[in-house]
Amino acid sequence: MNLKSQNLGDRSFSRHLVARQYQRKKRARILIAGLMLTSMVDMFSLLVIFLLQNFSASPELAVVAKGVTLPISATSRELKDAPVLAISRAGIFLDQKFIGSAEELLDRPEPLMKRLSQLREIWQRSHPQQEFPGEISLQADQSVSSAVVSRFMGMLPSQAFGSIQLAVVGAGGGKG
Amino acid sequence: MAVSVGGSSGSGRKKSLDAELNLVSFIDLLSMCICFLLMTAVWLEVGSLQVKQSHGTQAAAPKGQAHEVELSMQNSTALDWVIKKNGRLVEKQQLKAASIEELSQNLAQAMGAFVTAHSGDPATISSAMITTSSAVSYGDLIRVMDALRRNQIVNIGVVPANRDSAVAGVRAFRGGA
Repeated sequence: MNLKSQNLGDRSFSRHLVARQYQRKKRARILIAGLMLTSMVDMFSLLVIFLLQNFSASPELAVVAKGVTLPISATSRELKDAPVLAISRAGIFLDQKFIGSAEELLDRPEPLMKRLSQLREIWQRSHPQQEFPGEISLQADQSVSSAVVSRFMGMLPSQAFGSIQLAVVGAGGGKG
Repeated sequence: MAVSVGGSSGSGRKKSLDAELNLVSFIDLLSMCICFLLMTAVWLEVGSLQVKQSHGTQAAAPKGQAHEVELSMQNSTALDWVIKKNGRLVEKQQLKAASIEELSQNLAQAMGAFVTAHSGDPATISSAMITTSSAVSYGDLIRVMDALRRNQIVNIGVVPANRDSAVAGVRAFRGGA
């Protein structure tokens, strides 16, 4: 191409540079806006596979009482549906209902016994042809003295709750 | 899923063979799956250790030829264990360790060694009774129970502590708050 000086305007070259810079910027902006969909779909697929592997179809049977850190066990089994007796700093709870403080109940266990008896009667009324299984789940903080736990465990068989499930966390933190 | 084949505009042109997936609906589906699974996930798996507590009026189960273990925990680093058969003493040991982890490991090993040494004799240990003091925490009791269960002793009972010991335990627990 033969460029003659009269064909070029006063500021034509600088305008050309500005236009080229603008076009470059525009192209760069388009590149940033584009999402890498393939890698995103890969990541989503991996997440779905991981979550499906950890998915548990069985419902959560026990709500861990507030302020209770359960001990860890490597030999735990599946928790069955049963009334929950929780021993925490705040007191003793049966099925999330406050029964009394630990000290009070160690001296006078009548409120706990009465409530356990009621639970047994309700079960027997709803299952008239079946033998009472006597299952109860016990949740206690791992730092509580074992003497306190054993004392309460000793009270339970008097109301026919002789099969006690000590609630623990599986050693893997996952499937117990 | 919709698959579009690009470059179909020109009638006489050769069609491009590059298939293109409709990723938008695919991403929608995956997002919904992730949301559902995250909401329904159980992060803390609560299990249980079964303990059979018998009432005073209940008849004891027939023991047969199996051995019974009686464990007495003084604190988190020392315990005595006695093995009995039909009420007669078979073996007695005292275990001491620097920590509860070491103690439970030693207990599991000692139980395993007993069963191996009496392999000719039906040396199955059927049941265990644990006596604890107020100095032993519940977490440490679970560790000892774990050691027993690793040796196939699943019929475990806990001897109820006396009232004073339990009250001392409650006060110590409250004091630690």
